[in-house]
Amino acid sequence: MVIRLRHYLDDLLDLLREDYPRQLEEIIRDARGITCLQTLDRETAIIKVREKTIRVTGAARKSEINLRIHLSRECLFRILEGRQTLEEAINAGDLTVFGDPEVLLSFYKVWERVLSLARTSPRFYFLTYRLRR
Amino acid sequence: MLSSRVEDVRWVDSFDLPSVFDPRLPLYKEWHDFVFFDRKRDLFGLLNFAIHGNPYDASRGYGAALAFIVPPDGKVHTALELIPLGDLTVSPYNPDFVSKKVSVSYLADGSFNIKGEIEQVSLDLNLAVASPPVTMSKIAADILARNQATLGMLEAANEMAQIWDKWVELPNLDVVGTLRVDGTAYAIDTPTGYQDHEGGRFDWGSVTGWDTGVLLSDPSNVGEPGKVSFLFYRYGPDGNSQYGGLILKTADGKERYFASDIMKVADSGEFAGPRGYLPGVTRALYPDYKPRIPETIAFSAADKGDSISIVFTPRAVCTIVVAGQDEAETTFNEMYCSAALQAKVGGEEFYGNIPCWFESVRPKGRRPTKIGH
Repeated sequence: MVIRLRHYLDDLLDLLREDYPRQLEEIIRDARGITCLQTLDRETAIIKVREKTIRVTGAARKSEINLRIHLSRECLFRILEGRQTLEEAINAGDLTVFGDPEVLLSFYKVWERVLSLARTSPRFYFLTYRLRR
Repeated sequence: MLSSRVEDVRWVDSFDLPSVFDPRLPLYKEWHDFVFFDRKRDLFGLLNFAIHGNPYDASRGYGAALAFIVPPDGKVHTALELIPLGDLTVSPYNPDFVSKKVSVSYLADGSFNIKGEIEQVSLDLNLAVASPPVTMSKIAADILARNQATLGMLEAANEMAQIWDKWVELPNLDVVGTLRVDGTAYAIDTPTGYQDHEGGRFDWGSVTGWDTGVLLSDPSNVGEPGKVSFLFYRYGPDGNSQYGGLILKTADGKERYFASDIMKVADSGEFAGPRGYLPGVTRALYPDYKPRIPETIAFSAADKGDSISIVFTPRAVCTIVVAGQDEAETTFNEMYCSAALQAKVGGEEFYGNIPCWFESVRPKGRRPTKIGH
């Protein structure tokens, strides 16, 4: 069964807390202050990174959101499976990202770190594929 | 085990699952590599079936099936699927690797059956074992019986023994069946199949690399030897020491070993052909990553009246980046090459342009070290 975006993000955070606490601390440090509106197909989730915590919620004040990322499941898996680079996805309009350059750069660092972890964690890999199957 | 028979394949090539009490369980890894080239179809295939991590912990361990296929159009097709341990069966009693989507089964008639799908690659192959398995202990014993032990030989052997629990090869497989890539079916029928099976309990960060490969020769062709294989193993704290050699086996089974201390290795140019990357996420992480692959790699040696010269020309490359525990990464460059061979051993001459599998492994991020240096 395909899982929903918010369910996925909650499970992912639990997994990071259990298996990669040090890396999670680094992710929070890198992304501190970011409130991200993440869209996957028609689903949305808010990722709030504060001083020492990261939370996934369903809503946030519009003025609070400083990063917006839109992509489809199809595009996400094209990127994860190496069939499309981030640059190609952005150029094709399959991935859209809005935010201040500073915010974008810090979130890119988080994205890199999360992708890198995905290679060593089968739990992470199988969880992510539940977004598709 | 120093001698073996085809009948021994069932247990020699089985999975060496570690004890559940082993403190290095999370570092366990073991795999089958199957390689073949069908000259009539002009198709190269490398298939890897692996188990990684604690095999008793379904949340930490996993299986993986990988395919690197180069069909006649020369394009690179790569595929990788991870398999949950709950869907995978391996055992210390046979070489089987059975999962829901793709399976390797060792049959009572002494052949492997590989059936199923790895992403867009569909497999229905039978690989009959045509000659007995060869173990690392047997190769080492043969080399020591015919050559004087050197410091490099002993140091490399010591380092390999610390890393690897198992290394077995099946030098000759007759491969028959069908392989389908992106919807196009290819009928395969070739006597040039090869398999190796390795395993150990180590972190990728502790490996400093190696260069290994096999000429997929067909001794029924005039001039081609029974087999040519090579291994140069890197060792030492900085990974800059290396020892190894090349073995040429004649059609009637005689073996000639050329040690790395009498071999010259040179490379030139830069490979500009087709490349693939695995896992797919490598492209997202490192969009500009393109490890240096030479346009040609030349091995040559002459000793006591015997000589050998091989010029490898890579035709297609699959770069696999594996991540270790402390974010150390290791790059496997899997190359399908053509190898121009000229050799003279015991008065007999060998020659030909022979398809070859060449694997070059280095820690990622380190300045590239040349093969043989």
